[in-house]
Amino acid sequence: MKYELVSGLETHVELSTNTKIFCGCTTDFGGEQNTHCCPICIGLPGTLPKLNEKVVDYAIMAGLATNCEISHISKMDRKNYCYPDLPKAYQISQFDMPLCKNGYIALSNGRKIGITRIHIEEDAGKLVHQRGNTYVDYNRGGVPLIEIVSEPDIRSIDEAREYVEKLQMIMRYIGVSDCKMQEGSLRCDVNISLRPIGSVEFGTRTEIKNMNSFTYMTKAMEYEVSRQAELLDEGKEVTQETLRYIVEENRTESMRGKEDANDYRYFREPDLVTIEVSQEKIDRFKAMLPELPDAKFTRYVNELGIPEADAGLLVKYRRVAEYFEKAMEGTANPKVAANCIIGQIFRRVENETEKEAFDIALPAEYLRDLILLLDGGKIKMNLLKSTLEKMLDQGKPATDFIKEEDMGGIDTDTLRQLCTDAIAANPNAVADYLGGKEKALKSLLGFVMKNSRGRADAVEAEKLLIEMVSASK
Amino acid sequence: MVTREDVLQMARLSKLYIKEEELDALTRDMDNIIAFAETISAAQCEQTDFDNISNLSNVLREDVVLPSYSREEILKNAESQDEGYFLVKKRS
Repeated sequence: MKYELVSGLETHVELSTNTKIFCGCTTDFGGEQNTHCCPICIGLPGTLPKLNEKVVDYAIMAGLATNCEISHISKMDRKNYCYPDLPKAYQISQFDMPLCKNGYIALSNGRKIGITRIHIEEDAGKLVHQRGNTYVDYNRGGVPLIEIVSEPDIRSIDEAREYVEKLQMIMRYIGVSDCKMQEGSLRCDVNISLRPIGSVEFGTRTEIKNMNSFTYMTKAMEYEVSRQAELLDEGKEVTQETLRYIVEENRTESMRGKEDANDYRYFREPDLVTIEVSQEKIDRFKAMLPELPDAKFTRYVNELGIPEADAGLLVKYRRVAEYFEKAMEGTANPKVAANCIIGQIFRRVENETEKEAFDIALPAEYLRDLILLLDGGKIKMNLLKSTLEKMLDQGKPATDFIKEEDMGGIDTDTLRQLCTDAIAANPNAVADYLGGKEKALKSLLGFVMKNSRGRADAVEAEKLLIEMVSASK
Repeated sequence: MVTREDVLQMARLSKLYIKEEELDALTRDMDNIIAFAETISAAQCEQTDFDNISNLSNVLREDVVLPSYSREEILKNAESQDEGYFLVKKRS
């Protein structure tokens, strides 16, 4: 393509506080309509909002985790617009003094996507349009949000996707949001413009509202990029407008043009006082931040010798990483714990939700004890693997499955005898192998492993079998 | 000057019912209120930043759940409602 994409994102993240931003109503998702409401969050006259301290704390943590400066002084503002999802006809947000600014997210290709600002605000209610009427549920009204605004630094759809994935990972690590796109607790507005490659000036941009899945975000961006490219190819101009993406038809549609752009008449929220954040508080929160996924990834690769692809899988979810770190603690080779998790445990937690929760019946300490048996030469890798399956089934320690007499290896003579037995008992497999079917050796090996009760070293046994079968020719 | 029509218009916007015999008294009251507010314009003041006049900061609450209102109470003042929702009817 002869155009370069220039994109910036506004990402709304619902904070996982217990209560709404200005009142004590619960933020639980999915309650019966209008049952998580009070006079404050339905905007009745005479009520006064009072800011939830946790919202400020979480926003500070989000800012620190994305390399932002935290403002010592900030304030809330009214953003006026009249729509039924806002009972007060204004949203309490932050305008010119956001809580956090000037941060960035580093992408895997080394580029940094600037974060202009992060501010706190209240979510709107939910509208259901039916039979020409609008039904309003204010349960979500007043749920705390942070809006993370990026610089127009994104240059490809892949970068946009990685940026959002990283935000999601970081917010989950620091525990400020569950970032479930399907429940709307993470949603993005995507700004898109094209410019000829090599040009420095930005083209006219459009904004696609409310993307709430990675798949749709990618598709909507692909559609919009090709739509704009076609216009430019034909010598036409892109109109500055706000768009919605129509999933069923895979296209974007205009919601409003530039001339309809809202004038929000921002002014200071008179019902709320200044937010002051001391340096001491910022330092305290900085010290409290957990090791973030990027730092973990680098440490796993450089210090623990985990291959990059595996390290990526382990750090994606904080609970998986924590499980891994417990399981590998004090073991000789961290790769063993990594392989157990990725190769065996992941098969039992297939989808992303399960991986995120990582609710494994087997305590990480049991896995560590099993690996220590391997380190101490008491069991071989194949016995470790089969025992781990049983442990995962029942959530019990290794010693429940490995008998004392099964521990320790076996001597060469015993191994040789087992191989002789295997060859004698499986004449067909021997013939197949000699006939060129290398896979036939597996059944011989299986015979040896089984009859050694897993004590035989699989590599040694295989070597010996090849030697003996070949000699029998 | 506040007129009787102004008061009627305000009453309509605020969805208040006013009796005919109250109207003159209310018009006079409203006029006095506005005259009272206008005394502020006459005040001499050096301060230009009125943003944070209280000089308060960090009036915050703990993140503790309080009981919400019943849906009946929440919807009690709604002009129209349906199936537990506030209903915004289509404008014809």
